Amino acid sequence: MPGKHVSGIAEQTCRRCKENSAVLVVRTEPLCRDCFVKYVHTKAIKRMESFRVRNSAPDQQRKILLPISFGVSSVSLLNILDHHLKTQKSKTGRTGFALVVLFVDATGVGRSPPDKALLDLAKERFPEHEYTSIPLHEVFDLVSEDTSLLEILPTISSNKSLPSSERLPVLLNSLASATARADVITILRTRLIVEQAKKLECEGILWGDSTTKLAEKTLAETAKGRGFSLPWQIADGESHLGIAFNYPLRDLLKKELVAYVDMADPSLSPLVHEPSKTANQLSMSSKNTTIDDLMTQYFESVEANFPSIVSNVVRTSGKLEVTPISTSTPHCSLCSNPVTDGRFGIHGWGGDQEDGLVPSLTERSKGLCYGCTRSIPRQSANGDGA
Amino acid sequence: MPPTPCALCKTNRALIVRPKDHSKLCKACFIQVFETEIHHTITANKLFHRGEKIAMGASGGKDSTVLASVLKTLNERHDYGVELILLSIDEGIKGYRDDSLETVKRNAQQYKMPLTILGYDELYGWTMDQVVEQVGKKGNCTYCGVFRRQALDRGAARLGVKHVVTGHNADDIAETVLMNLLRGDLPRLSRTTSIVTSTPSAASSDPKSHTNIKRSKPLKYAYEKEIVLYAHHKSLDYFSTECIYSPEAFRGSARALIKNLERVRPSAILDVVRSGEDMAKLVPGSDDSCGGNCANGAPAAEEEEGGCGSSNGRTAGGEMANMEQQLAQNELATENGLEVEITAGAISGQSHSSGTTPLRNREKKTKNKSEAVASRKPPKQVMGKCSRCGYLSSQEVCKACVLLEGLNKNRPKNAIQVGYEAQDTDNADSMATATSRLRNVQIQAD
Ligand SMILES: [Zn+2]
Ligand SMILES: [Zn+2]
Ligand SMILES: [Zn+2]
Ligand SMILES: [Zn+2]
Repeated sequence: MPGKHVSGIAEQTCRRCKENSAVLVVRTEPLCRDCFVKYVHTKAIKRMESFRVRNSAPDQQRKILLPISFGVSSVSLLNILDHHLKTQKSKTGRTGFALVVLFVDATGVGRSPPDKALLDLAKERFPEHEYTSIPLHEVFDLVSEDTSLLEILPTISSNKSLPSSERLPVLLNSLASATARADVITILRTRLIVEQAKKLECEGILWGDSTTKLAEKTLAETAKGRGFSLPWQIADGESHLGIAFNYPLRDLLKKELVAYVDMADPSLSPLVHEPSKTANQLSMSSKNTTIDDLMTQYFESVEANFPSIVSNVVRTSGKLEVTPISTSTPHCSLCSNPVTDGRFGIHGWGGDQEDGLVPSLTERSKGLCYGCTRSIPRQSANGDGA
Repeated sequence: MPPTPCALCKTNRALIVRPKDHSKLCKACFIQVFETEIHHTITANKLFHRGEKIAMGASGGKDSTVLASVLKTLNERHDYGVELILLSIDEGIKGYRDDSLETVKRNAQQYKMPLTILGYDELYGWTMDQVVEQVGKKGNCTYCGVFRRQALDRGAARLGVKHVVTGHNADDIAETVLMNLLRGDLPRLSRTTSIVTSTPSAASSDPKSHTNIKRSKPLKYAYEKEIVLYAHHKSLDYFSTECIYSPEAFRGSARALIKNLERVRPSAILDVVRSGEDMAKLVPGSDDSCGGNCANGAPAAEEEEGGCGSSNGRTAGGEMANMEQQLAQNELATENGLEVEITAGAISGQSHSSGTTPLRNREKKTKNKSEAVASRKPPKQVMGKCSRCGYLSSQEVCKACVLLEGLNKNRPKNAIQVGYEAQDTDNADSMATATSRLRNVQIQAD
C-alpha cells in the first residue's frame, strides 16, 4: 500500500543521494528511506515559513494548536513538527513556536472513535509539548454566548438545564442519515477546536489534512451543497472562524504519509488509530455510507494512478475567490461560514422543490446555510427528518 | 399493512417513491409536481417570452422527448405564447439514427409540432460516414463531438430561430460540475452551471447568423430518474438505447460518483448543482452579480454535449492519463523553479478555450474581510468569433472550421485528435484498467 513499490526497485539507486538503494518511488522518483523522510519534512516545513525562529520575539513564545485525531496525517504532522522544533532549538537555542496538542474525545459518538489512551502514548513519545483533551459535547458550553449554535438543537435539548453531555446525543439522534451525523460531528469538532484554540491563546491551528484529504473535502463539500464555502475551507490564512488556519501537509499525498508512518524511526504505527474492521464494513452498506466515505474511496483510487490530478483538484478549488465580507455579513449558525445575500436554507433558488413550503420563517431564523439545512432539516425538532 | 396514502393529495394510494426526496406520491401528483417544478424553473429564470419561436433539440431519447411533452403541456396550460418546433440532427452514420429519427417523426405527429431534420452533410458538407472513410475510425469522435456542438446552433440559424432548448438534466449538470473540478477547469464549470447560455455577439446584424442563438435548459433541475418515470407514466414514445460507447474518462468517473452520491443522499444531485451555481460566482473573472443565473447567460460555445455517436479509437482513461502526465511534468518543472503555464485544452484536446491554469501554487495571502477582490482579478477570458463562420471561439478559426479545412484538403489526420491518444499503448492499457476500476467503485444498494 505505501507509495509505489515497484518490482525490481531494490536494484535502483536513490535518485537524490545517488548512494543508497531506493525503497519506494515518489512521483516517478526512486528514493531511499532517508531521502524520502527528508522529502516529507521539507514539503511540510516549507509551509511553516511564518513560524521561523526569527519571526518570534524571544520573550514571548508563540503558541499554535495541533489537533490530533490519531489518523496517519495528524500523527505524521506531530512527528515532523517535533523534529522541526528540536532542530530549531539545537541551531538557535530556542524555538519559533510552542505546540499545544489537542485531542477531541468523541467516545460514544460516531463510528469507532480513537481511544484516549493514544494520547498518553503520544505524550510519552513527544514529551516536550503541552497536551490537552476535551470531550466533543463541551462545544455547547464553550460557545455558550453564541446562542445561535444552541438554537439548532431540537427543542427538548436546548433547555439550558440539560447537561451538554446529553444534548449532543439528542441532536445526533434527531438526524436522519449517517451522512448528516458525520457532517454535524465534523463541524462541531472544528468549532470546538477553534474555541479551544482561542481559549488557550493560540494564534493559529495546524491542520493535518493531506492533499488527498483536501481534494476529498473539495468534492464532499460540493456534494453537500457547500460549494459556496470552499474558499474558506481549504485555504491557508485567516479563517472564517476568526483564527488562522494552516495546512502544512497540503503538498503531500495520503499514500506518502502512510509510507512515512512506517518509515519513521521508530515507526509511528503504534500511535495511529485504525478504525475497526467492522466499522469499515458497516460503512459499505449504503445505509451507513456517508458522502465523506464515498470521497475517501474515490480519491484512494484516483491517488493510486493519477496523483497529480488529486493535487490539481486542490489547486483548482484554491483558485475560487472569497466573496468580500464585512462584520455585518451573517454566518451560518452551524458551520459558521459567511452566507452572503441571505441565502439561508434550501428554498428560494432555481432548484427549489415544489414541496408546498414557502421559505419558512423558521428555516431562515435558524440561520442555517444550504448545506447545513440538508443535514439538519427543519423537522428534526420533532424527530421527523426527511 | 394498509396502502400508504399519497403525501400530497392524501387521498390516492401512493405508487411512486419520488427519486428526488423519496416522498411517496400517487401517479397524478407525481406528474403534477414534476411539471410544476419545470414551470417554476421556466418562470423563475424568465426563460421564454411571448411570441418567441423555440427549437427543441430532439434526439428521440428520453430527455428530449420528455422536454417536448412537458413544454407542450405547459405552453398550453400556462399560455406562454411561444411557438415550439422540433429540430433533429442526423450525423449521417448509417443505421445509427434510423430508429431514433423514426421516434422523433412520431413525436412530431403526436405533439403536432413541425419537425426539421438537418444532416451533417447539409450543415458541414460531410456525413460522419464520409468523415470516417476519410480519417479512419481512430479520432473520428473528435469530429463528431466538435460538429455536434455547433450543429443545433447552425440548424436553428437556418430556420431563423433564436432560441434552442436542450434536454440537459440535473444529473448531467452535476456530473459536469464534478468533472470540471476533477480536471481543473473552472471557467467551464462556471459556464455549464448557467441555465441560459448564449453567443453574445449583438453586433451581428445577419439574422441568419448562428452567433445570436440563445440556449437554455428547462430540465436543469429535473432528475434523470424522474424523467424516466415521467416518460413511463405518461406512456411517452421514446427511443431507449443507452449510448453504447463509454464516456471519456473524466466524465465516466464523475458519472459513477454522482450515481453513488444519489444512493447515499437523494438530494445530492441537486446539491451539487447548487454548489456549482455558487462556485461559478467565485470563479476569477466571473461577473459577481450574475454568477450562474444571469439571464444574459454565459457563452455557449464550450458547452458540453454528452454522448457521441461513435467513439471508436478513443482510449478509455487516456484522457486522465494524458492529463496526469502533463501535470506531473509541470510539477517537476515548477519544482525546478520554472514558471509553467498550462491550459486544460492542451491536456484534454477538447476544451479549446478553457483559459490558462497557472500551475504555480498561488497562495491566498489575502483573504481578509476588507480586502476587495477586484484588484486580484485576472482579465476576463477573451472570447472572439471564428473568422470563417462567426461561431464563438477563442481561436482565430473555430475548431469545426479547422477540422473542415483538414477534411476538405483531403488531409487524413489532424493534430487536434492527439489529445485522445495515450503516448504508448502499454501505458494506455494500464490506465484504461485503472479508470474502469474507478468507474466500478460501486457501493451496494440496500
Ligand atoms: Zn537517497
Ligand atoms: Zn452551514
Ligand atoms: Zn396524490
Ligand atoms: Zn468557424
